[in-house]
Amino acid sequence: MVLSSTPVVRLSGVSKTYGSTKALTEVDFSCFSGEVHAILGENGAGKSTLIKLIAGVVQPTEGKITVNGKELVLKNPSIATSHGLVCMFQELSLVPDLSVRENIMLGAPGTGFGWLNSKVVPQAESILEQIDGAHIRMSMRVADLTLAERQQVEIAKALTRNPKLLILDESTSALNSSVVEKVFKLIRKQRELGVGVLFISHRFHEIEALADRISIFRNGQYVETFDNGAFDYGYIISRMVGQRIDDIFPPKKVFNTEAEEVLKLDSYSWKGGFNNVSITLRQGQITGFGGLDGQGQNEVLLGLFGLLKNTAGEIQIAGHSVKITHPKQAKAPDLGIALVPEDRKTEGLVLEQSIARNLELSALGTKGVNALDPTIYQTFLEALELKCNSLDQPVSQLSGGNQQKVALAKWLALNPRCLLLADPTRGIDVKTKTQIYALLRRLADSGIAVLLLSTDFEELIHLCDDAHIFYDGEIVSHLKGSELTAENIIAASLNIQTGGEVHG
Amino acid sequence: MNNFKRLIPDIDVLVPYIGTLLLIITGSVIYPQILGVDYLAQQLQIAAFLGLLALGATIVILLGHIDLSIAWVLTGSAIISTALVGTGDPILSMLSIPIALIFGAGIGIINGLGVAVLRIPSMVWTLSVNSMLLGISVVLTGGFNPKGEASDIMVALATSQISGLPLAFIIWMLVTAALVLLLKKTSFGRYLSSVGYNEKATLLSGVSTPSVIIAAFSIAGICSAMGGVLLAGYANQAYQSMGDPFLLPTIAAVVIGGTSILGGRGSIAGTVGGVLFITLLNSILSVMQISDAWRSIIFGLIIITMLLFQSLRKKRT
Repeated sequence: MVLSSTPVVRLSGVSKTYGSTKALTEVDFSCFSGEVHAILGENGAGKSTLIKLIAGVVQPTEGKITVNGKELVLKNPSIATSHGLVCMFQELSLVPDLSVRENIMLGAPGTGFGWLNSKVVPQAESILEQIDGAHIRMSMRVADLTLAERQQVEIAKALTRNPKLLILDESTSALNSSVVEKVFKLIRKQRELGVGVLFISHRFHEIEALADRISIFRNGQYVETFDNGAFDYGYIISRMVGQRIDDIFPPKKVFNTEAEEVLKLDSYSWKGGFNNVSITLRQGQITGFGGLDGQGQNEVLLGLFGLLKNTAGEIQIAGHSVKITHPKQAKAPDLGIALVPEDRKTEGLVLEQSIARNLELSALGTKGVNALDPTIYQTFLEALELKCNSLDQPVSQLSGGNQQKVALAKWLALNPRCLLLADPTRGIDVKTKTQIYALLRRLADSGIAVLLLSTDFEELIHLCDDAHIFYDGEIVSHLKGSELTAENIIAASLNIQTGGEVHG
Repeated sequence: MNNFKRLIPDIDVLVPYIGTLLLIITGSVIYPQILGVDYLAQQLQIAAFLGLLALGATIVILLGHIDLSIAWVLTGSAIISTALVGTGDPILSMLSIPIALIFGAGIGIINGLGVAVLRIPSMVWTLSVNSMLLGISVVLTGGFNPKGEASDIMVALATSQISGLPLAFIIWMLVTAALVLLLKKTSFGRYLSSVGYNEKATLLSGVSTPSVIIAAFSIAGICSAMGGVLLAGYANQAYQSMGDPFLLPTIAAVVIGGTSILGGRGSIAGTVGGVLFITLLNSILSVMQISDAWRSIIFGLIIITMLLFQSLRKKRT
């Protein structure tokens, strides 16, 4: 590949410190026009900080940023955008209470002094059409969209900003693989037009499919850049973590089908959400919930945690029929249900409060648990290797992966008998994923039943003992053991009969 | 290191106290009698009324909500307690204070139910409750000042002194201590600021958030009712608009005390400082015999300055 001589953006000797924490140390890094440049690194490697610097959200403590050969101070995001540096953030930047149209027009080029530029709307509509988002109407309120739909809108919004450098920070994390493929097609088209693309994803196959070059960051330092395909997966991971990880997933065990029943659902239904869900969960079992987004999987978890009204059908916990009407009842030891919700930032954690406060919040008011005893959390924090200065640090200062560790540990301390997880590894780096997988397997071995909702089918294949695939609110397939293959999961997700022709 | 840090109070809490000290020092340059024991004791007595209201308001604001029914919960409990005493029946007279407090708690529960169960924004719901209380009181009293008087106990609570300290101030401090313990030592205190920061995440941690909200509003109602009873004892009567001048100073005291109007962050100790500051500011402005119009303007300016100071400092950190 031929690179143009001046990079779209170049960082020279850039450092960024937050208080006493060094987020980036003397980084030299360039991204050229016409390339897709993937950035890899585990938690706290400095990827988010790098992007925030380029997008003008934060300013470097030392060093300089050059855009198209000109040294610039990117004081705020709108200055960055005006130089063509457009970012789609991990935390989506849409205003929930505005319509899709209003969000697209917000801050579009040509906007100012109260004028809005409606020309971007047809442009956004055509982009949405190309990425399977034709059903998203411009008049819909963003708050009513699913996470995946919001990401599609976010992509459309960013592309209408005439980017010279497009930054994708986990922007496809909630999209299913067929939509991701279409998004990639669009990105490749942008690349042909000479746009530079910075791409952050924790899905290796996405990076393999899209990136031209790959840069690796570790502990706030730039490690190296190489062409995609120059090294194999194992080497890349070893460069990212500084050591070799042979296996991401813990070895599976032969599952005991005679183990004691923990949870049994019989024709469990909720109008408008899911219908006729019947599953059995035994001690030591990890059961997956798969399928496309928004097929009712998440609602089943919410129902089991007492958050839905007027559900029908039967729930049995350890052989006793129960009605679950409130999370407080669900977490009590006689039921012992814990839910790690989908969105750790708004649902799983109180970001402004300290790690200790967050850990204690679930345990407080639970019978037989002394919430103020720090040792009940310690084993889990150690198993997950939580990185923090002290437990008094606000959770908002932690990286995404470390936040998720807190969100997990606060529930594990209650010794639940049934653990519900809604996509716990979304947007999380490989090393943290590995730690979470190992812990889940260990918990299962100790007799906990785990229900794992996942959008990553590798997890369903390698971690779960069996998986239920949802389509339109119903379980269309129950895959066990050797039936757990990528082909079967994709076919079931699209509600195609297995054995028929499958186009993955 | 950690223990050492805990010994120094948060600067948010110190700001209103420093402001109060500055007021006393600058005021005493012009009017030396401000340093007199009598004057300061009287300020503490007056501060106690606003102080009780502000304690309740702090609890609700920590929750991320607001209680705009303060004025008429105060007036209502004052009318109820004086009217009961006015019947001349010794038993009703004895029960006047508890009944007024139960009234406050009841209105608080109604406020909490509207916010937590009906999910109506607290600003709208409590304002409507306030307006209905006003209407009910006009219907019942015909719009005239209600007949009745304060009982001896009410007068004593509001005006007597124990070894130089006003009893009303002591009551205020006792309630302050009780609420500080409640916030520091109980799960309720933890839940309160968690709900203030993020109600959804708190609910998903298995906390019964509606109960937290209802409890917080009823504590606020009881605080307002206590203020009403004491104020009726101080004035030896109840009158229709006695609560009206208290709403804004109450909220201003809470915010000057460093409690975020958005919920979550804040403290009782800061509110006490805010109350002292506002009471003293009011008093010094009236001692200086400045016209009402200028007093309002200066009052507003000083409050804005204090708030700007707080928010600028936060931006820097």
